[in-house]
Amino acid sequence: MTSRSTKVLLGIVSLFAGLAISVANAQQVSGPVKVVQLTGFAGVKDNAKGTLDVQNGQLHFVHGKTSSDISASSVQDVVTGADSQRAVGGTIGLMSMAAPYGGGRVLSLFRTKIDTLTVQYRDADGGLHGAIFSMPSGTAEVIKKELLTQGARTTAAPEPTPAASSSPTKEQKQ
Amino acid sequence: MNRVLSAWTTLCLFTLVFAASPLLAQKDKPAKIKAGALQVEMIQSDEIKLPAEFQVALYENLIRQLGKDGFSRVYRDGDRNAASVGDLVVLHSTVRGFKAGSERARQVTTVSGTTSITVHCQFTRPDGTSLLERDVNGKVRFFGGNLKATYDFAKKAAHVTSENFSAAQGTGVL
Repeated sequence: MTSRSTKVLLGIVSLFAGLAISVANAQQVSGPVKVVQLTGFAGVKDNAKGTLDVQNGQLHFVHGKTSSDISASSVQDVVTGADSQRAVGGTIGLMSMAAPYGGGRVLSLFRTKIDTLTVQYRDADGGLHGAIFSMPSGTAEVIKKELLTQGARTTAAPEPTPAASSSPTKEQKQ
Repeated sequence: MNRVLSAWTTLCLFTLVFAASPLLAQKDKPAKIKAGALQVEMIQSDEIKLPAEFQVALYENLIRQLGKDGFSRVYRDGDRNAASVGDLVVLHSTVRGFKAGSERARQVTTVSGTTSITVHCQFTRPDGTSLLERDVNGKVRFFGGNLKATYDFAKKAAHVTSENFSAAQGTGVL
């Protein structure tokens, strides 16, 4: 009896520990982050996969052997968002649509959470550009903070304090 | 014999009328407005709460589609080079309606989860003289992510532009 309850207790503790570690890992991102450049970054094709990093006042996007940079001080606005994407995507995801008895549709229910990072910046002529990146959940906010510390600006309201976030606003409830 | 002849005459008359009607309709079309270059202002969404990624995707897709639709000189918001261009047309876009929809709902049900955006497009001269105003919408009904609605809008807006404005020859600035 005692050994059974101990096992259950151990199971619960390890489950919570696992959750806590994964949250901590998501928030402590250091170095380049794997991203997908959805659109807008000058000289880079849409949906290009690469890594994003903020160093020496520059936002670096490395795609294959090419590297594109924009100065953090030229960033007019940086906004993060949350979204989700199909867990099974690409060609396999497309082929699964033909699966009998709606099997493909069931696969559509399995989705992974992602973050989006939207950056608006000006080029040397003053022209406004916008770039959208998608990245693993929990990483966009870190890049945003790094950009802000290195001279970027944002129009988004600052992140709410933990006390405030525990009581959702009327707008969030809707 | 007379009956056959009259039938032939009637057929010929009908053919003539049908063939002539598109030609007459083309004559009714108003003349295109001359545009030395286009300047695209950033999408405004004061009344409607639009996610930043949609705002940027609308702007970037619009610039790209206008360039593809024969306008070789498309300037971005704030580009200083646009000031010296004669016959400049400025495109102001304001979001009038937005339904976020859901990619998951589209994939699972096919009939629900449509994403739609309605944008009021106003073409003016740099002094503010209005040339043309149109509401253009973008939708994604079945396949693709929510941001695909911005691509649909951009294609339609570029079509409206090429129908009403004639592009002058010149070097492209994007």
